[in-house]
Amino acid sequence: MPFREINSKMIEATVQPGAKIFSQRGAMLAYQGDVSFTPNIQGGQGGFASMIGRRVAGEATPLMTVEGSGTVLFGHGGHHIQVIGLSGDTLYVEADRLLAFDGTLQQGTMFLGSQGGVMGMVRGQVSGQGLFTTTLKGHGAVAVMAHGGVIEVPITPQRPVHVDPQAYVAHHGDVRNKLSTALGWRDMVGRGSGEAFQLELSGTGAVYVQASEEKL
Amino acid sequence: MATFRLQGSRVLAVDMTGDAVKAKNGSMVAYDGQMAFKKMTGGGEGIRGMVTRRVTGEQMTVMEVKGHGTCWFADRATEINLVRLTGEKLYVEASNLLCTDAGLRTGTSFTGMRGATQGNGLFTTTVEGTGQAAIVSDGPAVVLRVSQQYPLTVDPGAYIAHQGNVRQSFQSGVTFRTFLGEGGGEAFQIRFEGEGLVYVQPSERATIAGDV
Repeated sequence: MPFREINSKMIEATVQPGAKIFSQRGAMLAYQGDVSFTPNIQGGQGGFASMIGRRVAGEATPLMTVEGSGTVLFGHGGHHIQVIGLSGDTLYVEADRLLAFDGTLQQGTMFLGSQGGVMGMVRGQVSGQGLFTTTLKGHGAVAVMAHGGVIEVPITPQRPVHVDPQAYVAHHGDVRNKLSTALGWRDMVGRGSGEAFQLELSGTGAVYVQASEEKL
Repeated sequence: MATFRLQGSRVLAVDMTGDAVKAKNGSMVAYDGQMAFKKMTGGGEGIRGMVTRRVTGEQMTVMEVKGHGTCWFADRATEINLVRLTGEKLYVEASNLLCTDAGLRTGTSFTGMRGATQGNGLFTTTVEGTGQAAIVSDGPAVVLRVSQQYPLTVDPGAYIAHQGNVRQSFQSGVTFRTFLGEGGGEAFQIRFEGEGLVYVQPSERATIAGDV
């Protein structure tokens, strides 16, 4: 794994010749050795088609390619950083939460409406995520930003997990998600408990939840 | 009874087996199992409690969470402190109260001038009974002991809660320099005397005291 946690808000990445790391543009804090940073116009990998895809999807966070040999410190905006290791599974995360990731990981975008139809689209709006989310697949590490600390909640077929859409950070594994509502007449007249919408995640995997209901 | 445990310093996990807790509205971040969320109209404690809170300005919007499983709570990434009560009373600002056992009674008490300088009004919330409560602070809170020999003086903006048999009085260090705009920024303090514990956060709310 090329990422080492220095503290909760800073990570150190080891860059080796021939290996790439992608990071959010401007997230480099310091580096040692012979490292180059090239702005990535395409906003990631996958060529022209996927660039158009990301532009259209609004998941086009400016990225840069980090290459060479040495170590780089990353951090951004004083946000808490969580390193997530992937071993062949897919991580679903919003593009603007991505701090850095292994260049070997396959990047893509997923239409939220493809799971759960209209409710899927509503879900994106409610959680402030828009209609698309970024996926990363393969073997490697991803550094994700969150407001406040992050907890990992396991999801098993027996125990689906419900998450506040504002506190949701990312999830991985073979997980289906849908928006569940507990809307009653009380919510309509402004007397709700403040927990009217929840993301219901079921299957096998894990969800990362931040200790705050503020987006980045 | 529901079990409270901290997961990290900013997330509270509550394990429930059919019992209930009272929590700040909207503070749930995740849950597994079966949970029901119900707003307690006017903050609970019936009409009387509601009227007192209205009058005193110690508004709480509280929900009752009941079910089987684990429910996680957090509030704006603030640090969480667990307090175990065995019959005594905890005094806390309504805005700092995150979650309590459903069995704990909440009420309102007069604080005198202290509240005014804190920008929190003249009243504070009390929690009484046996069980656990979770209070939030901006940064990790320290718990300071007050005893007969050692009274404690606290900045009103850094005070979050106290418990025990403690008298509090309001001190002002306002001098003519303050009026000339030469104040040290510490014009008001709260002095605690007696036997008890005071929770202090490493941060200062915007108060009148901080400006003079």
